[in-house]
Amino acid sequence: MIEINQLSKVFRTEEVETKALNNVSLTIKEGEFVTVMGPSGSGKSTLLNIIGLLDSASAGSYNLLGNEMVGLKERGRAKIRKQQIGFVFQNFNLIDELSVYDNIELPMVYNGVAASERAKRVEEMAERLGISHRLKHYPQQLSGGQQQRVAVARALINEPKIILADEPTGNLDSKNGNEVMELLTDLHANGATILMVTHSDYDASFSQKTILMKDGMILSEKQQNKNIDIVVNS
Amino acid sequence: MLRNWVHIFFYNIKNSKFFTLLNLIGLSIGITGLVFAILYWNDEHSYNAWNSQKEKVFEVINGMNENTEWHTSVAPLGPEIINSTDKVASYCYLNDWYFSENVYYNDKKELVENILNAQASFFEYFPFEFVEGNSETALGDNTIAISETTAKRLFGNEKALNKIVRYSGNDMVVKGVYRILGKSSIRPDMVTNKIEQSLKNNADSWGNYNFGLLIKLNDPKDKESVIKTIDDIYYRKKIVPVSKELGLSPEEFIEKYGEFYVKLQALKDVRLGSIDSGLPEGQGNPQFLIIMLGLSILILVLSIVNYVNLATANAIKRAKEVGVRKIIGASKGNIICQFLFETAILSVFAIALAMVLVELVLPYYNDFLKKELVIQGGLIYSQLITIFILLVVIAGIFPGIYVANFETLKVLRGNFGRSKSGVWLRNGMLIMQFAIAAFFIVGSYIVYEQVKFMSEKDLGFNGDQVVEIRLRRINTKVFDRYTTVKNELLKIDGVKEVSTGVFGFGEGARSTSGFDYKDQSIQGQNMGVDYGLLEMLDVPVIEGRDISPDFASDTISSMLVNETVVRMMKEPEPIGKEIKWNGTNLKIIGVVKDFNLFGLTEEIPPMVFFHIKTISWMQSNLDKVYVKIDADKMEQTLADIETFWNKDVDIEYAFEYEFINKKYARTYEEYVDQRNLFSILNIVVISIALFGLFALASYSIERRMKEIAIRKTLGASTKDLLVTLSKQYLVFCIIGFLMTIFPVYYLLSTWLDNFVFRISISVLPFIIGFIVLALLTLIVVLGRAYKATRVDVLTYLKYE
Repeated sequence: MIEINQLSKVFRTEEVETKALNNVSLTIKEGEFVTVMGPSGSGKSTLLNIIGLLDSASAGSYNLLGNEMVGLKERGRAKIRKQQIGFVFQNFNLIDELSVYDNIELPMVYNGVAASERAKRVEEMAERLGISHRLKHYPQQLSGGQQQRVAVARALINEPKIILADEPTGNLDSKNGNEVMELLTDLHANGATILMVTHSDYDASFSQKTILMKDGMILSEKQQNKNIDIVVNS
Repeated sequence: MLRNWVHIFFYNIKNSKFFTLLNLIGLSIGITGLVFAILYWNDEHSYNAWNSQKEKVFEVINGMNENTEWHTSVAPLGPEIINSTDKVASYCYLNDWYFSENVYYNDKKELVENILNAQASFFEYFPFEFVEGNSETALGDNTIAISETTAKRLFGNEKALNKIVRYSGNDMVVKGVYRILGKSSIRPDMVTNKIEQSLKNNADSWGNYNFGLLIKLNDPKDKESVIKTIDDIYYRKKIVPVSKELGLSPEEFIEKYGEFYVKLQALKDVRLGSIDSGLPEGQGNPQFLIIMLGLSILILVLSIVNYVNLATANAIKRAKEVGVRKIIGASKGNIICQFLFETAILSVFAIALAMVLVELVLPYYNDFLKKELVIQGGLIYSQLITIFILLVVIAGIFPGIYVANFETLKVLRGNFGRSKSGVWLRNGMLIMQFAIAAFFIVGSYIVYEQVKFMSEKDLGFNGDQVVEIRLRRINTKVFDRYTTVKNELLKIDGVKEVSTGVFGFGEGARSTSGFDYKDQSIQGQNMGVDYGLLEMLDVPVIEGRDISPDFASDTISSMLVNETVVRMMKEPEPIGKEIKWNGTNLKIIGVVKDFNLFGLTEEIPPMVFFHIKTISWMQSNLDKVYVKIDADKMEQTLADIETFWNKDVDIEYAFEYEFINKKYARTYEEYVDQRNLFSILNIVVISIALFGLFALASYSIERRMKEIAIRKTLGASTKDLLVTLSKQYLVFCIIGFLMTIFPVYYLLSTWLDNFVFRISISVLPFIIGFIVLALLTLIVVLGRAYKATRVDVLTYLKYE
């Protein structure tokens, strides 16, 4: 589903040039649940952002569902984002001015789903995530866990091919965090492809594969608690 | 504390240089406009303010019937008033126009423009300061009083008193030199006393309304009772004898012809009063004054709104500062004071900048108003201080109160950046700005349309290549002199036609006379003409024929009337009908198609045409020659005419001519000026409003950057985002526009009511106004929004 080959990302300022990603190669198959771990500044978020088409690579190739993404224009990226990708963020990133219902509905609006269909799907999704009674509320009126559920609902509403989660439990207490992880596991069990960035070993243990990054490079890939050493390119 | 405030103020300025600058410019422009309006206002209100008699002196205006009011009175009225009541102290007859004639001193010749002919009591009514001589003895037989300026022109630095000058064929002794102390409804360069003779000649004539009349009341409160006294006099002296002559009872006469009545207007009200005045310096234009003041206040309000909007929007950024201040003990009052202080500093700068602008623009403004306004005197400075205080209070208090009411804890917890607090105030003000801008766009378009209509209107005559040349009278045989001049002119190459008429375009006839036809009483313009004038002006005779040298009777008993007269006569077949006109029997030989004699603000009047020689006294009104010139030889021909004129016609006075089209255009010059003014203000208003919109959209979009980033992440295309961001402004634009429809319609209809010949307000200005406003709105907002959609979403997703 995702094939990344020799991908690099360089941030330039006037004085310094930082390689946030250094020739990273990675493959994620359909239905996989992959975690990316690593210290701050290791490039894991950058990788996630590039995969989510929020950021672009400096070099290398990124193939999503058989199409090359490097060099794609913003219009095309927006189209793929809205159709194929669902995002879950550490800080939820809900729109405070919109109600829970409107927040969940928004991706469908951009996808041109008919209004009646949208209403049906929002109801179903809210039911599934246990937030039906909160649809008329605004994000600021909800607890962190509930907000993250809304964010997950929003990420799933378009039935994306891949879910990208950037430290989804980072702002939650352990109980709410657990609930969110269980939610993601359920989704995975139902066939969703998930790529998650986290600091937490515990969260990572829910996934099938853990990628460890440092200094913009992939140090190791760990498959279900089994270490596989890979060649480090330099 | 002040130091702290100043520090914070400049810190904030540094951080938003662009907006502060625009704010400053906006406020300055607003203040500049207001200062201009105030200068104009002060000038108009200073008329006669210096005059100690302004409350007691009244101008007598005579109502002849419902539609006709004359500024002139009959000679016996003054003495009769004094006989009839002790409430009137004195009267003063004067000609309510100026002569413009040469005055000679030794070998020197000076053209004195404003020569007033008045009774000796004039200087009690206009107590000018006498530099030489005194006001009591200045006027008498063969004596004159002159202004300081005239004295300087005639005598240089020599004493003027008792010098003898030659004026109008007589030797006159200068018996007084006066200084005019301020704006005055009469500002003569020279005053003569020749009126006494004409008054004597007309002492018993109750029908000759030839003289301007001022009366002085002992107590201005007696105005109503004096009016009653004069009305009674008219009843006794006019209605009773005239009705007897006609074989009617006074009641029947009044029933048929209406009543004579009188109006009195105090000198203090003459300049801006509602009653038409005949005093020679004319009247101000109170409607235009109000328009100016109103518009300038609107502009200032607009810039204040900008300021308040930006200050409250900015205040959100400053919420933390305010929160901290409150925690360490600042009271609400203290915080409001801080904002007032900041507004005060900015206002000082704005006023300073405005004064610079005023100085720069004042010459143009004076040109436009045809005035000589200057910034001086305590009045304008005290008004500036008032503006300053109002500005500080109005512009400073809203943001102050708004900020002072922030909830401290909420602010410090940091969630405030996206608070909706104050949004309604700002949006409301934005809507108001849209409304004002729409008002200007639509309004100026309507004004533009009316002016265009006036300049393109078919006036019923064709004045192309026709010039009017002033023919000064040197003896009583005016018509013979004219005939000689005409014959000579026709010999000049390029002169196609020459004729004359005793009327002026845009001015009307030199005299009017009433006549009766069956039961209808008609007050017609006396259009004495020479042969060929109507043809020269392309005015068609639609029935009957024009006067012609082929018919001897055409200088004895023939007349033409215009369509308006025919309508008033209610006569289906006017040709051949006889009319008793001032004792002469005239037969109608033709009907002239209506044409605009006055400006387009007035109806086409009833006009009667006859050859000047038909009525013996008509030639005394002859003071111009109309010449039609070949368009290709215009310049040379005019030069030739001038040479001829200066050599053979008038060696004393300079050659004066004017194209009649240009002369007619002066009747609506004032409105052309108003259109230009409106256009300039339009640009100013739209700029200020758009700046406000830009600033507000910037702030609002800045606050929504995270939302934009989220939407973008969810796959919103640029188009989706642009729609999301600009939708609300378009809605505000529409609301503002709708709000303005009624006021524009009402106010512009009132303005259009100035004109008899006017456009009706169509839907077009509204459509155009809306499109322009919506387009400008979209350009500003979309420009700003597009920039917002270009940013890196990651910045906002992560770090907020």
